[in-house]
Amino acid sequence: MSPLGTLRVVARLVKMNVMLTLEYRVAFFISMVNLVLTPTIALLVWLTVSEAGVPLPYDRGQFVTYFILMGLVSMATQTWTAEYVQEDIRYGDLNKSLLRPAPNVLHYITNNVGEKVIKLGLLLPPLILLGLVFRDALQLPTAPGRWLLFGLAVVLAAALNFLLDYSIGSLAFWLQDVSGVRSLERLLYGLLAGRFVPLAFFPPELAGLLQALPFRYLLSFPLELLTADLPPSALAGGFAWQGVYLLGFLAAYRVVWRYGLRAYAASGA
Amino acid sequence: MPVSPAIDVADLHKAYTYHHKAPGLRGSLQSLFRRQTLQRQAVDGVTFAVGEGEIVGFLGPNGAGKTTTLKMLCGLLYPSAGRATVLGFTPSRREHPFLRRIALVMGQKSLLWNDLPAMEMLLVHKEMYSLADAPFRRNVAELAALLSVEHLLDVQVRKLSLGERMKMELMTALVHKPEVLFLDEPTIGLDVVSQQRVRDFLRRLNRELGTTILLTSHYMDDIQELCPRVLVIDGGRLRFDGPLGALAEQAAPDKLVRAVFSEPRAALAAVAALGDLPLRRTDDPLEVRLTVPRGRVAEVASRLLAMGHVADLGVEDVPVEEIIRAVFTRSAGAPSAQNGPSDPSDPGAGGASAHSEATALEARP
Repeated sequence: MSPLGTLRVVARLVKMNVMLTLEYRVAFFISMVNLVLTPTIALLVWLTVSEAGVPLPYDRGQFVTYFILMGLVSMATQTWTAEYVQEDIRYGDLNKSLLRPAPNVLHYITNNVGEKVIKLGLLLPPLILLGLVFRDALQLPTAPGRWLLFGLAVVLAAALNFLLDYSIGSLAFWLQDVSGVRSLERLLYGLLAGRFVPLAFFPPELAGLLQALPFRYLLSFPLELLTADLPPSALAGGFAWQGVYLLGFLAAYRVVWRYGLRAYAASGA
Repeated sequence: MPVSPAIDVADLHKAYTYHHKAPGLRGSLQSLFRRQTLQRQAVDGVTFAVGEGEIVGFLGPNGAGKTTTLKMLCGLLYPSAGRATVLGFTPSRREHPFLRRIALVMGQKSLLWNDLPAMEMLLVHKEMYSLADAPFRRNVAELAALLSVEHLLDVQVRKLSLGERMKMELMTALVHKPEVLFLDEPTIGLDVVSQQRVRDFLRRLNRELGTTILLTSHYMDDIQELCPRVLVIDGGRLRFDGPLGALAEQAAPDKLVRAVFSEPRAALAAVAALGDLPLRRTDDPLEVRLTVPRGRVAEVASRLLAMGHVADLGVEDVPVEEIIRAVFTRSAGAPSAQNGPSDPSDPGAGGASAHSEATALEARP
């Protein structure tokens, strides 16, 4: 298929997924509440701790900025593909896309993009409201370059999240149930990507480890770009890690699908 | 015979591996550490060719290997051994130029998104199969008219009835005008009217566009009406390949002779006189039904007429359901059902067809 043809397929599938998202209204609002509530609660807890006089690496402004932006970055980067992929493999629905002359992964990518388009649009009003409540403390950088870098880091983080999630879901080619693997990954993500606690709060001895693990680049790194004063070397290092993990995850995805499809086609689709 | 085969299959095999687990909790615990891996030969050396524009019926009991073969021909399953080509392509490579020229419709598995109208799926296919606006609109209009579903294109799929949904499946699968169409039980669960509509549609598709069709079905009417040629598969092996009529002659060398007498005593006398022939049960005391070897039909008919009091006399073919059952029972190693075919009115004996024997007979050539 020509690149233009692929683009037309993508556009059509995104449109269809936007429509699908609007069909599932309850699931939709629950996920929105979750996205606003989790960072808000974390923010209130940390503000209370900080006001109690406990010395912390972040000041009030940084807390507020970090947790408000987290809602946005989480929405833009998180995926929920593993479950779909797992079900499609287990129940043979993968056949739908395997019979069509378009790459299978397009269905999942466009599902993600379609949902995000809608959810991001709806997430903005509560986030803006939250920003207004804490307007005295919110510190957003004004340099456009910083925002551009932030945008790039968010896109890379979204790609990383997607590839990781997609590959985990694809383990269903061999495993009866991948939810265990997925739960473990979610737990590590919560702890090590900076969802519950900013990574700056970890003991300095762990900094090297946190930098080398992929989780930071799924959520924390884009947030750090706007909230922490990263020196240029840390910036370059962060993007380099994101690039390395992107290549690594792409390779993993290709291997998993190559052998997975073989297993699928061997065992009875 | 096919000139250039659209589908060419040679010595095709497919073996599945599966795990054996002893029943109960103990079996589950044991299988956690040690599982017994077994193999099952689902398709075992099948060879056939289907010419361009042919409609071929694929018959076989559940688990015979029909769906497995279809899936191998679509590229969803890799063969364990042997060779299959469809339109010159090796299906398992799933190359896009190949996928653009085929379609698979499964009666029991939807290719649509339930929460959206079928039109959305059609629009996705328009882009995936690179259809220009005008031919796309023309194809949709044609297909919708043929299937009488113009008013349903914008209705959520899950709000449609089973028959309507199947029509949408067919539309979606056919909007790119595939040259080869694989159908797996396309009329399953449909009412008689919808079944007929789908059959009429498939016949027109084949006649007007020359679409090659390979179809599996449990409904004998599907096979009788659509398929001049049938492949019978059982236990993964091909048992028969040829015209349905030849299958009947090969598997059922008998005819049914039916006589209706004007008084019960004459019927009883006829039964006594022709006691050497297998008698079929009837509920009507005036009616006698006999299974007669083809060579003796004339003799038996004239003997019945000679007895007098005959109100009606007819010679019929053995219902196809019985023939197929006879083939399957024989291939399973059980004694032949020929000499004592069961009563077609027996609900457990008539195969999956919901239709009367008369319907089946009328449709026979």
